[in-house]
Amino acid sequence: MNQLRSLFLMIASFFFLSWFGIVIYSYIHLGHLRSVAGTDGLLPPEYNGSAVRGAHVYAVNGCMTCHTQQIRQLDVTHADIDRKWGERPSVPLDYLRDRTAFLGNIRIGPDLSNIGMRLTDPMKLYQHLYEPAQMVEGSIMPSYRYLFHLQKIQGEPSAYAIVLVGPHAPQLGYEIVPTRDVQDLVAYLLSLKHNYTFPEESHTAP
Amino acid sequence: MNQETTFSPAQASNNLSNELLLNSSLCLELDCALNIPMFFLLRSSFFNFGLGLFLLLICSIKLVFPTFCDGMSFLTYGRLFPVAYDFLIYGWAIPLGFALVLWFTSRFSQAVFTHTRVLVAAAHLWNAAVFLGSLAVLAGYGTSVPFLEYPNWASFLLLVSFLLMGVWVIFLIKQSTCRTLYVSQWYFLTFVCSFPWMYGTANMLLTWGKIQGSAQAPIQAWYGGSLVELCFTPVALGIIYYIIPKISGVKIYSYYLALCGFVSLLFLGGWSGLSLLVGAPIPAWMMSAGVVANTLISVSMLAVVVNFYYMLQESKKIIIQQSPALHFVAAGIIFYVIATFLSLLNTFPGFNALLNFTDYVSASLIVSLLGFFGMTLFAGVYYIIPRLTGISWFSSVMIRWHFWLSIIGISVMISSMVLGGIIEGAALNDSEITFTNILSYAQPWRFLISISWLILIVGFACFIRLLVMMRWQMIKEKLPMPQ
Repeated sequence: MNQLRSLFLMIASFFFLSWFGIVIYSYIHLGHLRSVAGTDGLLPPEYNGSAVRGAHVYAVNGCMTCHTQQIRQLDVTHADIDRKWGERPSVPLDYLRDRTAFLGNIRIGPDLSNIGMRLTDPMKLYQHLYEPAQMVEGSIMPSYRYLFHLQKIQGEPSAYAIVLVGPHAPQLGYEIVPTRDVQDLVAYLLSLKHNYTFPEESHTAP
Repeated sequence: MNQETTFSPAQASNNLSNELLLNSSLCLELDCALNIPMFFLLRSSFFNFGLGLFLLLICSIKLVFPTFCDGMSFLTYGRLFPVAYDFLIYGWAIPLGFALVLWFTSRFSQAVFTHTRVLVAAAHLWNAAVFLGSLAVLAGYGTSVPFLEYPNWASFLLLVSFLLMGVWVIFLIKQSTCRTLYVSQWYFLTFVCSFPWMYGTANMLLTWGKIQGSAQAPIQAWYGGSLVELCFTPVALGIIYYIIPKISGVKIYSYYLALCGFVSLLFLGGWSGLSLLVGAPIPAWMMSAGVVANTLISVSMLAVVVNFYYMLQESKKIIIQQSPALHFVAAGIIFYVIATFLSLLNTFPGFNALLNFTDYVSASLIVSLLGFFGMTLFAGVYYIIPRLTGISWFSSVMIRWHFWLSIIGISVMISSMVLGGIIEGAALNDSEITFTNILSYAQPWRFLISISWLILIVGFACFIRLLVMMRWQMIKEKLPMPQ
């Protein structure tokens, strides 16, 4: 059984190398970063409670399957910044407040790291989530109608009702209002903006 | 290190020839002992494979026709797509790979397996975890960590049940009457040891307890890379190292090449996943390590493939032509070369800037998972089913359909993904082109991808038809069905 033991040791030691080098290194050096003091408060800014719940809605609906949240480094490509998806490449600190870092690995839709800078009107985001193809012609994003609620207009129309034009717009006398989930999701999307820069040292020291 | 002396060529070849000399009655006894768990694992993994392919077909149709099954929470693309992949990975690839590993190990050890109940219970637990986990993801309880989407309880059950299953492989190796380990066993042991380690670690840091978001990217990439290089690749290579000598009767061409291929894969496998993070927000040395590892891993691939090439050269043409298993093995080897080449290309920063985040990335995964690993697994299945059931394959036409449709399906799919990916990448790099325009360029390729999923499903249906025909034959001849 010596052979089994030495084979086992070999597998374990080689596996340990990558495990130690990647997992343990990341855990020690990237897993204990601290926010840095910016001109107005801590950077990156904390999410509010609604946005934290919104990140959970983002996760369970698998938005990450089609959307990345990373602006690539300049020595690799300028394309992301040319496309105005961000002002600067992403750094590890940007993900400090995320429970799950939604880096993503395929761009079936555009990058969302800075969607809160491109779209600032919540109504636009609600409309986009409800009927994407009406908002952007040629969009293949699925509709998230199930995150909205259809209700009968009683008296005055709700102040939160979504203005819709597509085939799934409500009938006369009815209105579509966002559920708590989609309100949180929109709060999260609006908070996705890296419109700040970290002091130089936090860029380099991971 | 004294591994070289431990796995000496003379000893290792001795072991396989011992195995070759196994008398048929012992073989029968060995197979009988494993019948129940084997049939359960095979049946459930085939079911999951069919289901996974079907769900991926729906997903690919959704990309082309976004209104297809639109507006239903449990069928939304973002939930359905990961579930489909999880069915392929955890429902089909790992349990089927494990079943083959177990069967081959029992053949090597010549030890009769006696703990069927624990194994079957663990396999049931695994299956239940896959099913309930997938349902939970569809119902909106997914974690959104790539390849680790299952909710905590499901991933915990998966880990426990794998430990309960995997321990029997080590147990069988320990029971072995042979004192030496054959090349395949090195690879099988790698799979059995590394999967629980990586799955446990990744879940512990990414889903059960979450470390800071800033540290998650390298660990996600490490898990993805290790899953391919230290789980799928070893199982596939182990199967090939077993099947070619067994069917064609040739010896391993060079044991030193085999050792070199094994050690380099082991050394580099864990690091190669980092190459997916070129340009990502991680320390620069990690990117470089990933690029280096992924470049060098092609050397490991070459060492192995050269070995296989000469082994196939030495074996008689007529044997290769007549054996379905060797057909699938040969296809698997070719896809292995393509897979390594595709991931190598995506490693270099220049190409990466063009290809990353496009359909090209899916091509690398598909060609490893379905092309290389899938074809090799089916080679193993074609090898063992006649030995388990005691009757031989009787429809070469159906086998041929299964083989060629799989080849055509995978080839069409990866070529559309690669070509589509290049076009998407070029367009993404030109900021004048709007994103919806890029989508319209990708559309014809994505349509072809849907077609190729359909071809794969038809190919797999031919295989299922073959199994049904065999079962029917057994009922007609009143052969006892094991189980």
